[in-house]
Amino acid sequence: MRVIRLVAVNVFKESVRDKVLYNLVAFAVLLIVSTFLLGQLTAGQDIKIIKDLGLAAISLFGLMIAVFIGIGLVWKEVDKRSIYGVLSKPVSRQQFVLGKFFGLLLTLAVNLLVMTVAFYAVLALNAWMASPATLAAMQTPAADPAMLKAILLIGIELTLVTAIALFFSTFSSPFLSAGLTVGLWVIGHFNNDFRNFGDIVDSRAAVWLTRALYYLLPNFAAFDIKSQVIWGEPVAGRDLALTVLYGFVYVALVVTGAVTIFSRRDLK
Amino acid sequence: MPPRTTWVSAVAIGLLLTAVVGLQAAREHLPPRTMPAGVSGNLLYVRSPEVMSRAALSYRLLLADAYWIRALQHFGRARQSHDAGQHYDLLYPLLDLTTSLDPKFNVAYRFGSIFLTEPPPGGPGRPDLAIALLKKGLAAQPRRWEFAQDIGFVYYRQRDYAAAADWFGRAAAIPDAPAWLQPLEAVTRTRGGDRATARRLWSELMKGAGAEDEWLRNESARRLRQLEALDSIDAYSRVVAAYRQRTGSQPRTWADLIGAGYLRSIPLDPDGRVMQLNPYWGLVTLDPQSPLNPLPTDEEPTP
Amino acid sequence: MDAIRTEALTKHYKVGFWRPRPYLALDHVSLSVGQGEVFGFLGPNGAGKTTTLKLLMQLTHPTSGRAEILGRPVGDVDVKRRLGYLQENPYFYDYLTAEELLDYFAGLFGFDAVTRRRRATQLLDEVGIGAERRLQLRKFSKGMLQRVGIAQALINEPEVVFLDEPMSGLDPLGRREIRELILRLRDRGCTVFFSSHVLSDAEALCSRVAILVGGRLAAQGLLSDLLARRVRGWEIVIASVATAEIEALRTRSDVERVLPLGGDRYSLTVPAMSPDQMLSALLAQGVQIVAVNPIRDTLEDLFVQKVTESPVARGLEVPQPCE
Repeated sequence: MRVIRLVAVNVFKESVRDKVLYNLVAFAVLLIVSTFLLGQLTAGQDIKIIKDLGLAAISLFGLMIAVFIGIGLVWKEVDKRSIYGVLSKPVSRQQFVLGKFFGLLLTLAVNLLVMTVAFYAVLALNAWMASPATLAAMQTPAADPAMLKAILLIGIELTLVTAIALFFSTFSSPFLSAGLTVGLWVIGHFNNDFRNFGDIVDSRAAVWLTRALYYLLPNFAAFDIKSQVIWGEPVAGRDLALTVLYGFVYVALVVTGAVTIFSRRDLK
Repeated sequence: MPPRTTWVSAVAIGLLLTAVVGLQAAREHLPPRTMPAGVSGNLLYVRSPEVMSRAALSYRLLLADAYWIRALQHFGRARQSHDAGQHYDLLYPLLDLTTSLDPKFNVAYRFGSIFLTEPPPGGPGRPDLAIALLKKGLAAQPRRWEFAQDIGFVYYRQRDYAAAADWFGRAAAIPDAPAWLQPLEAVTRTRGGDRATARRLWSELMKGAGAEDEWLRNESARRLRQLEALDSIDAYSRVVAAYRQRTGSQPRTWADLIGAGYLRSIPLDPDGRVMQLNPYWGLVTLDPQSPLNPLPTDEEPTP
Repeated sequence: MDAIRTEALTKHYKVGFWRPRPYLALDHVSLSVGQGEVFGFLGPNGAGKTTTLKLLMQLTHPTSGRAEILGRPVGDVDVKRRLGYLQENPYFYDYLTAEELLDYFAGLFGFDAVTRRRRATQLLDEVGIGAERRLQLRKFSKGMLQRVGIAQALINEPEVVFLDEPMSGLDPLGRREIRELILRLRDRGCTVFFSSHVLSDAEALCSRVAILVGGRLAAQGLLSDLLARRVRGWEIVIASVATAEIEALRTRSDVERVLPLGGDRYSLTVPAMSPDQMLSALLAQGVQIVAVNPIRDTLEDLFVQKVTESPVARGLEVPQPCE
């Protein structure tokens, strides 16, 4: 455990000192803040638009961070051979991979926190500046704490993306890993269409295949409750719990896969 | 890696995979996530064709394809959805985007002309949008007589027979237009609401459909079967009226009519389902389950 | 118990993408290193030295054969507490400073903060980069990185140290410092296993060597054993000789070579088992004898002989795939 923690902290240190990451986060915060300006242009609907854009920005930038850092996590160490130094110490390969994973999670969590704070700050500012009539007309409060549920699910979604990026990073180059990870993320968003494929297509083989894919591929669409939260629709506790559990189990699956593959690998 | 840990890994992965599939299945049993009434959960971030055209750079045709697929999926999903408000709200924007990115995407125009006009629950019921789309198509390709004909058809379905006839005339004026458009204009002007005219229109549409327009053929065939059903209903209603006149009472079942010698067998609709006879009012209708419902209503021919 | 022991260690690689051809990197290598020895692992480039080291550190897995370090199978995480490893051309996290790197690695061993700091400072001074300890590693030169590498290999006071080309990238002063460091390690009872192709270092430091050629062990044993047998001849340095006598010496059958050394000195190479006869003859002629040196095979001679002897090197064999 101590070893995993040390490796994780090292990953966090690396990302903190990495210029690319700083630029990404700075850009994200800038974007969120600029939605404030956007809000001034559109009468009435501004707070909803800010919520829309803000949540989308948090989701997208989080995705970029998860992918950019995740794909190089293991591969860079193996390619540059800095990993020799670590693995010659009393560190197992499992501990190494897990440490990398948790380190990236820590980085992601901190970034999400920063973006969320900026987001709520902008919303609070807008609410403070809005007229009482506008506020009364809104269905949900401006700085609605219910949005934290959406951000929680975004966090879980990004954890899964991180795990997938890490998984690919244990055996393939960053370019390929990025493509595969983003590809899986896109397909995962259309997961529900796989289920309905059978209603449209006649071939039984196609139906079986798409249903199998529906069950096996990560269902990223499940983590998207942005619309519900923005419109103030309730999200059942059971729904939330089941989705969170699904996320965790899938993450465990992917990380186990990553650990297994990396343990058997010959390093160059 | 020593064999024992490989074993452990394999078992762990197997268990987790099963859990993943199980949870996904469990999620299917959750009640669907709600949206407030009247609000569609559909999102289209970029609706402006100008913006998209510029953004697409050299991949416009590819993007047009993507939007077309999305339009079809949106339509299909809306059609199949069982909730109170079927939302076709993205159909026009998506078709508009498709045709702006690729003005020669003919099937998109024609699909829009039929299904944008379709009244709920089958479609959004927006003939104005259908006509706007087709006019845009004509502006891009003035020699496509099919678009002019389709505009006429939209007006026809709205029962604006004068406008329909005008557009059939304009279609006929386009070089290379088929010969039957001219008489079609004439007939529409005089006997617009006639079932025979409608039958003729749908037949021509069906015949004119290209190899890849199977959807158009199917739709036309369906309409023709509806017209056939109307004819059947008329015919059997006349038989029922004759029986009532002769015996002074309504027939209770088809068997009565068969027994009395008016019919030889149980009436079937064009799909082969048994037609219904309402014993109190003597009304003949289709089986309520029939996909040909709802049947279009008739109108008196214009003088 | 041997410090290091391998039995028929073999490693194949698959080369090529579409129809991978197997490439034999190591062929049944069996060696043993006693505790406290300084072991030189020698061979030409591409012989498989680094592969062997990677197998010993379990960075790669052998195709067949086994290896043990301090009696435990290779890869055992606990035994790594007593090992140190320096890789060839070391590269570490360039966003860390030298101090932070050593602190991190020391932490992986479980040392507490006080011990970590103490050992880091001590080692950085010992390898000569104490002044640069707060500099980020990305600013280090190759030689400086090499020194950091050595420092991190010793951070846990290991019993067995593996060094892959420890002298590479160092200037002559640096090489001498590292040579002395290795001798200090030996004096402390540490086992040192180092691979190199700088034979003079090996000759000066090692008690036992192995020569690897084309993945096979061409020679293995105590240095004294390997080189002792071969006394090829004698070199006699003479002075005050008349030119005529030099010419006479040149024609003699038992003199291989006469080399002028400048001044009036000459070096005679006499390929005889014993120099007595020659010496008597020279003394009888009144020649002044300055020095008499036995000519032994140097390690370089042995090395070159083994390399050229190897069927692989002679192109008679191609590294064969597994049977």
